[in-house]
Amino acid sequence: MNQLTRIFLKTTAILFFLTLLSSQEVLFAADGEALFKANCSSCHKPLEAYVGPALKGARDREPSKDWVYKWVPNTSVMVNTDPYAMKLKSQFGNVVMTPFPDLSKADIDAILEYANNYQKPGGTPEGPVTQPQTDNSLLYGILTLILAVIGFVLLQVNSNLRKLTDEKEGIKSMPPVPFYRNKSYLLLLVIVIFLFGGYLLVQGAMGLGRDQGYQPEQPIYYSHKVHAGDNQISCLYCHTGAQDSRHANIPTVNVCMNCHKSIKDYGGKPLVREDGSPVNANAQIAKLYQYAGWNPNTKTYDKPGHPIEWVRVHSLPDFVYFNHSQHVKVGRVQCQTCHGEIQNMNQVKQFADLSMGWCINCHRTTNVQFNDDQGHGNKFYSIYEKFHEDIKNHKYDSITVEKIGGTECMKCHY
Amino acid sequence: MKFINYMKRIKIILAFVSITIVAIVFESCGGKREPNYTYMPDMAYSRAFEAYDSNNLKNENINYIPYPVEGTIRRGDLFPYPLPNDSNGYKMSAQIKDPLPPLDTIQMAEAQRLFNINCAICHGPKLDAQGPLSTGGKIPAVANLTLKQYVEMPVGTMFHVVTYGKNNMGSYASQLTREQRWMVIQYVKSQQLKGSAASDSTKSSGTAAKDSTTIKK
Repeated sequence: MNQLTRIFLKTTAILFFLTLLSSQEVLFAADGEALFKANCSSCHKPLEAYVGPALKGARDREPSKDWVYKWVPNTSVMVNTDPYAMKLKSQFGNVVMTPFPDLSKADIDAILEYANNYQKPGGTPEGPVTQPQTDNSLLYGILTLILAVIGFVLLQVNSNLRKLTDEKEGIKSMPPVPFYRNKSYLLLLVIVIFLFGGYLLVQGAMGLGRDQGYQPEQPIYYSHKVHAGDNQISCLYCHTGAQDSRHANIPTVNVCMNCHKSIKDYGGKPLVREDGSPVNANAQIAKLYQYAGWNPNTKTYDKPGHPIEWVRVHSLPDFVYFNHSQHVKVGRVQCQTCHGEIQNMNQVKQFADLSMGWCINCHRTTNVQFNDDQGHGNKFYSIYEKFHEDIKNHKYDSITVEKIGGTECMKCHY
Repeated sequence: MKFINYMKRIKIILAFVSITIVAIVFESCGGKREPNYTYMPDMAYSRAFEAYDSNNLKNENINYIPYPVEGTIRRGDLFPYPLPNDSNGYKMSAQIKDPLPPLDTIQMAEAQRLFNINCAICHGPKLDAQGPLSTGGKIPAVANLTLKQYVEMPVGTMFHVVTYGKNNMGSYASQLTREQRWMVIQYVKSQQLKGSAASDSTKSSGTAAKDSTTIKK
């Protein structure tokens, strides 16, 4: 009995250790991924060279199996003494790896193990969901036409029937008038043409000089959706001038290169033009490199750069003064109020018609942000002392742009 | 008489049809890819040079320099940064002192706004290199500003890096004025001081990680 218990205890102990060991194995593998992501992934990729070399098979390329243990904690010293390290340094643009003295040999093993077993994630490329916009106006037009023809036929039938009954009852009918000389038909036609033509004429005349929906083709297919939407870059990162000057400046190429020095491939959802043709995003980035004179292989500017001639989308006539900083900084108007959902537009399209009525409407309804008690609001408005008094005396609860002269002619025309 | 009446009618109809055609032509000119026509182009388009206009002045032998004279200091701006963009300048930058007095709360809020616009996309709003562009690995080797070496980095060196760029980071001299750059650095330092006490407890080999900037030239 005693022996049996002992055997039982022994086997349980062995089983226990075995499970521990195997779970250790699992932990070990998971650790490799976690350690890689935490320590290495900002400069290394498993399968391809990045800031540093690819980690898959790194150990096979190195001079000895133990070389990496010496290298990782001590990069800054080894880079000047070890020939293989010196070779790597020259290969990777003289950038030296950060030493990681905290990584143990087991950690390094786990990381390299993870990199060696790494498989390229084979996800199915997600096609863009393009829903054809259903436009019902054609359908309605055809229906109206059919109804009109039916109405016309019925009217003819009616007049024929009347003629028949008149003949039967012996009433002498007038000589028949063909429909194209029938006065009521002609009058109807004239009225229809007058209304339709008048509508189009007025629309066309009012639309002169206005460009709502204008969406020019730009020299580079630059997607605001990718930059401002997906990657959450603030509008003011590139259009810095919108807060300080009259113009929301177009960024110079060096601002593009702040990020595109590193980003040479587009990894997001496939881009599609409005007409459905696909956009080669990497070719667009390559175009940018040409403008910048940047060589992505050597990571240097080896050619002279030249500016990108973007096509202006929003443009006010010369006789209108508009100042961005006045609206963005002083008025604290969001960019989207006038430019629409830029963060969802691939190619920028003029959102508002930029007509005077549109400006005036906004000036009539928008409240200016006076200084409140907490010191928020804008000091710009402190000169309107009387309005501040009136607000304090509860005469008004808010002041619109119109009240401070926002609809005076010479505010914008001078 | 009847014939004349008929002709009149035809004329009226023709007039309406032609008006309609003209209207349709106007309408269709507002095509999406081309700008619309204007009533009076000489009023709508400036005859003077506007921003971003191309000009042909050089070929007309007109001496026009679009840039301010070198060394010009904008009214109210700080003096130019004296060190050159090389390794020696980088070393010497540690001695440069912050010319601004400590920021008050309103200025600090402005500095935070500037940081969030210009820096946080990579360095992260919490300075931990977890910005929208760095978490996905789009931009490699982003400095985790909560690490010890950046907490201890002299303000002058920070200014040098923001002015000239370093490794993957570009120069921000065109986006931030000298004063704004110093304001952002004051903000970063203030956040680092706040964070350094907390981060001491959470360090591990894993978190030491995300850094990259220790890459030396």
